[in-house]
Amino acid sequence: MLRLTSIVGSASDPATAERLHALSHRGVVEYVTLNRADTARRRLHVFTDRGTEAAILLERSERLANGSVLRLDDQGAVVVRLEEPQWLALEPRDTAAAIELGYFCGNMHWKVRFAGTMLHVSMEGPAEDYLVRIAALTGDGRVRVAGHG
Amino acid sequence: MNDIAAGLGPAVQGNRPRTAARVGIGGPVGSGKTALLEQLIPRFLARGTDIAVITNDIATKEDAERVRRSGLIAPERVLAVETGACPHSAIREDPTLNMQSADELDRRFPGLELILIESGGDNLASSFSLDLVDYWLFVIDVAGGDDIPRKRGLGVLSCDLLVINKTDLAPYTRTDLPRMRREADEVRGGRPVLLTNCATGEGVDAVVETIAREVLFDGR
Repeated sequence: MLRLTSIVGSASDPATAERLHALSHRGVVEYVTLNRADTARRRLHVFTDRGTEAAILLERSERLANGSVLRLDDQGAVVVRLEEPQWLALEPRDTAAAIELGYFCGNMHWKVRFAGTMLHVSMEGPAEDYLVRIAALTGDGRVRVAGHG
Repeated sequence: MNDIAAGLGPAVQGNRPRTAARVGIGGPVGSGKTALLEQLIPRFLARGTDIAVITNDIATKEDAERVRRSGLIAPERVLAVETGACPHSAIREDPTLNMQSADELDRRFPGLELILIESGGDNLASSFSLDLVDYWLFVIDVAGGDDIPRKRGLGVLSCDLLVINKTDLAPYTRTDLPRMRREADEVRGGRPVLLTNCATGEGVDAVVETIAREVLFDGR
């Protein structure tokens, strides 16, 4: 198993990007795709996009991010890619529903962003897991599901 | 699995971090978290893993004292965190006390490989901050009701490994264990679920193997 024990650079660094580009022509740049929550972990058992099994073991002072380079040498590179966040768009019917929805989402520790009259919930699992929780609010029309994905 | 032969040469970047892997064990009161700890400790010691333990209690050191008295592990390797409030606040909202305790264990015991952090939560919604742990288990039991998985509690859904404990009690609590297992698999989308009976140790070897595979990477 490939052991990746430090963050050696960032793909956004111009010099690193140049090396990655050169290596990519030889087909030896591999990517590990993570969701945002997993970036807080210091140890991860992962597979790259080419099927390489890898162990990520970082010091607690290090933190993964989009573009973190976990390996970079003449033989190849491993780069972290983050999944695009999935959002559930909710529209409360009125102020009372908005207060209730806001309280509920906070109580569930959901990560949200505000978008005008809508509340967007960051989904870290299937939409169904979230929809079942707000069924009471959506069932009587206090909250409308405006979309997800 | 291609491993490094797929194109990448051998990676030479040191063997392991200076700090131990941190694994959380959460779940409702009475589900068997401390009993699981007592089954895990001798198994990790037997495979040569250098371990320590942190327990969380609201206002006492009850769980820590139980583990220390067990004789399974050197007492100085067991630290207690008194949370003062619902323990899940100290493993999720503000895990500072637990992080400090884990850092202290890393300092005291160079070469430490694994810290098990046990914490109760009074409902199915407790979860661990990933700033605190690298991997976490949620322990439920058959006596708590076989409908627990389909209630889709945060802990059941989001843990890395769901443990259904006290399988031996299923016949006495009218629990449909196969259905409970099936529904757990369904709500977790195929993520790991293991069955244990921590009174006898049945099923605990698989828990050890899973933790070793996911965060220890020691090849033992």
